[in-house]
Amino acid sequence: MSKRNKIRKMFSAIFFLILLIPVFQKLYAQDAEKNRVRLKADYVKIMDGEIYFDIGATSRVNNENIDVANITLIISNEFNDEETELGKVTTNMEGKAKFVLKSLAAIKPDSTNTYNVVISFMGNDGFKRASKSISFKDAIIKANIITKDSVNYMSATLIDASKDSLLSNQLLNVQVQRLFRPLRIGKEFNSTDENGTILVPIEEGIPGVDGILTFEVVLKESDDYGTVKAIVEAPLGIPIVDESTFDERTMWSPRNKTPLFLLIVPNLLIFGMWGIIVYLTVNLFKISKIKNQNQKNENI
Amino acid sequence: MEDNNKNSRRKFLDKGLKLGIATAIGGLGISKITTKLNAKNDTHSGEKMELMTTDGTLIEVDSSEVMEMVHSENEEEKYNLREGMPNRKFVMVIDLAKCKNALKCQVACNKHHYITGEHAWIKVYKMQEDEDTAPYWMPTTCMHCDHPACVTVCPVDATFKRRDGLVLIDNERCIGCRFCMAACPYSTRVFNWSEPGQEVTLNMNMEMAHRKHNSIEYTGMPSVKGTVDKCDFCPHAIKENVLPHCVTACPNGVFYFGDKYEDTVTNGEESLRLSKLLKDKSGYRLMEGLGTKPSVYYLPPVDRLVDFKDGLENFTGYKSVDKPE
Amino acid sequence: MNISDKLINDLAPRKFGRWGVIWTWSLIIISIAGIIAYIDQVIKGQIVTNMNDYALWGIYISNFVFFVATSFVGAVTVAVLRLTKNTWRTPIVRIAEIISVASIIMAGITIMIDMGRPDRLLNLFIHGRMQSPIIWDVIIIPTYIVISLLLLYFPLLPDLALLKKHFKKTSPKLSKWYGKLSLNWTGSAAQKILQMNSIRIVAFLTIPAGFMLQTIDAWLFSTLFRVGWDSTNMGAYFISGASVAGVGALVTVVYVLRRAYKLEDYITDFHFDKMGKFLVLTCLIYLYFNINEYLIPEFTSKKEEITHMNVLVTGKYAPLFWFVNIGGLIVPIITLLFEKGRKPLPMFFVGLLVVVGSWWKRYLIVTPTLLNPFLPMEGVPEAWHHYFPSVHEWLITFATLAMALLIITILVRYLPIIPMQRTADEQEALLKIEKNKEI
Repeated sequence: MSKRNKIRKMFSAIFFLILLIPVFQKLYAQDAEKNRVRLKADYVKIMDGEIYFDIGATSRVNNENIDVANITLIISNEFNDEETELGKVTTNMEGKAKFVLKSLAAIKPDSTNTYNVVISFMGNDGFKRASKSISFKDAIIKANIITKDSVNYMSATLIDASKDSLLSNQLLNVQVQRLFRPLRIGKEFNSTDENGTILVPIEEGIPGVDGILTFEVVLKESDDYGTVKAIVEAPLGIPIVDESTFDERTMWSPRNKTPLFLLIVPNLLIFGMWGIIVYLTVNLFKISKIKNQNQKNENI
Repeated sequence: MEDNNKNSRRKFLDKGLKLGIATAIGGLGISKITTKLNAKNDTHSGEKMELMTTDGTLIEVDSSEVMEMVHSENEEEKYNLREGMPNRKFVMVIDLAKCKNALKCQVACNKHHYITGEHAWIKVYKMQEDEDTAPYWMPTTCMHCDHPACVTVCPVDATFKRRDGLVLIDNERCIGCRFCMAACPYSTRVFNWSEPGQEVTLNMNMEMAHRKHNSIEYTGMPSVKGTVDKCDFCPHAIKENVLPHCVTACPNGVFYFGDKYEDTVTNGEESLRLSKLLKDKSGYRLMEGLGTKPSVYYLPPVDRLVDFKDGLENFTGYKSVDKPE
Repeated sequence: MNISDKLINDLAPRKFGRWGVIWTWSLIIISIAGIIAYIDQVIKGQIVTNMNDYALWGIYISNFVFFVATSFVGAVTVAVLRLTKNTWRTPIVRIAEIISVASIIMAGITIMIDMGRPDRLLNLFIHGRMQSPIIWDVIIIPTYIVISLLLLYFPLLPDLALLKKHFKKTSPKLSKWYGKLSLNWTGSAAQKILQMNSIRIVAFLTIPAGFMLQTIDAWLFSTLFRVGWDSTNMGAYFISGASVAGVGALVTVVYVLRRAYKLEDYITDFHFDKMGKFLVLTCLIYLYFNINEYLIPEFTSKKEEITHMNVLVTGKYAPLFWFVNIGGLIVPIITLLFEKGRKPLPMFFVGLLVVVGSWWKRYLIVTPTLLNPFLPMEGVPEAWHHYFPSVHEWLITFATLAMALLIITILVRYLPIIPMQRTADEQEALLKIEKNKEI
């Protein structure tokens, strides 16, 4: 190619590109109009139970934080610079999603025994793509109830599963499962000692259905291990007594449980009065039926 | 000859490359532009839906504005709706030391129950027993009394007391005699004197509302003209283990809610043992002497966290709730 | 058993003259206006009234209570006077029974106007709860309607037979109706025994029924906590108040009918004197109850009671309170204590005062209490702190009053106002006694 040709070609290429700049700008501008999604994810492991990720998607639209509902997120395991898809979830009306892992064996840890998981959002017309990566190591809590000097204690040990080492100086919570939020037992933070163990006395007199209480020992949102929860059931509570008056005959119960007095006396009065009324009505008929014996006299 | 071949090859490659790049960029640009255009159409879809309002007029609403509300389709309820959840007794504790008349509870309650007009199921009163005693702000909800005067006087069993402590209203049965309203000493019930006008607040087809939600656990969805409404302790939420809306909306943690049998109440952040809370802070109930046995306990306004005067800016003696935009 | 033609001519129902027709048409027009207003209320909801979440009951309820109270006149006049053997009651019993029937029927209709969902009326019967005072009301009102009708009907039988004969030539169709309704009455001994027995029974029955009716009406208020309603006095208070309202209405209607039908020979000054004494007795008893109800709270001065009393005695409702108690009670008592006050014309005005006073008294029972709840009225529009009935409410209330008067008018048009057969029997008995005296 002659030099002149080369230069011509270069210029035409550059010219071509310049032509396309407004197109790029338009595309970029439209891209910038999309809102950014913030993904939040927590790894939760329940001993002898589910292992899952609690995922939430929010976005700042018009200076307000809103929940991003109905978006599909892909959860993948990052291993050796490769992403293996583990599954998909769609956020609900509150922008929340829960992805359950069948078991930790399904994902591969890296050399430091850390599991790396990426939650990504491919983006849609309203929102840009986003992703969030979380890393965690596998920890185990072994919890059980022991009784010393007729006092019940919750004893729990925190173990790093991969190294099988005891973890000390970690803060654990001990609580009882309740309807809305769990009820804390013991101090707010119980630090594991050099044996990775805590010993928390359980107070008396906590009510539970049939006296059974469900205790939880929780490692909350630790940077290395995520959230780990051990659940222990024990009949250490006071049985619940149903004091409701629902089954009794009261003034405020539905009509199938009216107080007996109100069933008997008013009905006696009603039937008494209406009985007399019926008798009187019968009298009216009797009067009209009486054959006229005096009619002849009347006509005279 | 070789030179020519090389030239033509180069030319071919040159042209081909240029064409390729051009096509790629053009194709990309075109696809992006078309998707943008399609997206624009979706948000303001020309598609309109014809809906009927409760008084029989047809209105046209953009179909994107009609949202299908998805509630838990647990049609096989675990309990009889008139009997309530077994082994529960719901109570509320209101900490008067923390209330500063923010009225966020009222706003949230009105919003989540689609309350219209001048009604509010939560009222925050400016209380002062005597000139010498201290003024304080007192939020009141329905007390869900254990000896409910309202239930006793209802002639048709439209309002009823459940096993789990809740007092609810069946607005398909209510005849609008307002005897319950006369009986309630806490002035907590409201009456739908006219058509509630929830087409705007419910933002849904009223037909859908009647069909899908009209259950005694979804008070106010919809409200019915000529019937009574009141605070219901949000049974649709608490059965999903979600706290009632006033509890979560309060920025000062004034409302505690829980199960008395579990002896635990929570305001979303702290969970406490009810018996200990009432004992330590000397909890009491409103108008105890009337013998209604309310399920709402009050903690006296001592060791106040906020100054009473801070609440005066929100106090509007004669104005009711803010209307939705 | 010769009944003088004069008696029959005097007492038989006559066609309405010009005033009668004007009167009837006015009542019909007022009723229609009220019906239209009611239809509007059903369509728009009770927002057309001035009731709100605090003044949740208004003149519909106080009007209802007034009708229930006035219907007590049947029990009081017919039954109580009968038991106490006040024979002078004969000329006025029929009017009393007619007022009773009209009032209690209108009471049943008026209460349905106050319902927010009248289309669900049947729920009261399908889902009724015996624990609710309203259900007791729903039971006793139809019972009392039937008893009042029977109380009107049984003594009417001989008169209907008389009227059948009387109208045989002039209006044969009317005569036929009288004949049917008279149930083949011939005055035979057997029929008389049945009739007398039945009257004795129904007159007796109407006393407990009437007492229950007034008491249940009172319990609609006293079973609630509110200040001014939570009174142990309420049952007796209402029975006494109903006697006053009933006898006052009786006096007024008797005077009007006496003038209109020229019955001065049958309802004499003597009867007015007796009615006046009866009315003053009921008013005195009612005054005693009022003193108990209003004076004692001032003594103990409980905060809530004093607030309520102040509103009545010196506050917003003071003019009405003093009108009701002085005009509606004290002035009638003073007037009726004098013989001159018991003449027919003064008694008419006294009767009117008593009736109007009774109507507004019930308004004073319902509204001030509702506007004085336990918790302060805050965060509600200023208009909710007051209650005065709206145009719709007035139209409908006037219509119910007009309908009550219309029922009375229709019954008076076709039924003999004074029991004919009985009057004749009494006159004959009197003649016999005089003859015996002579002999």
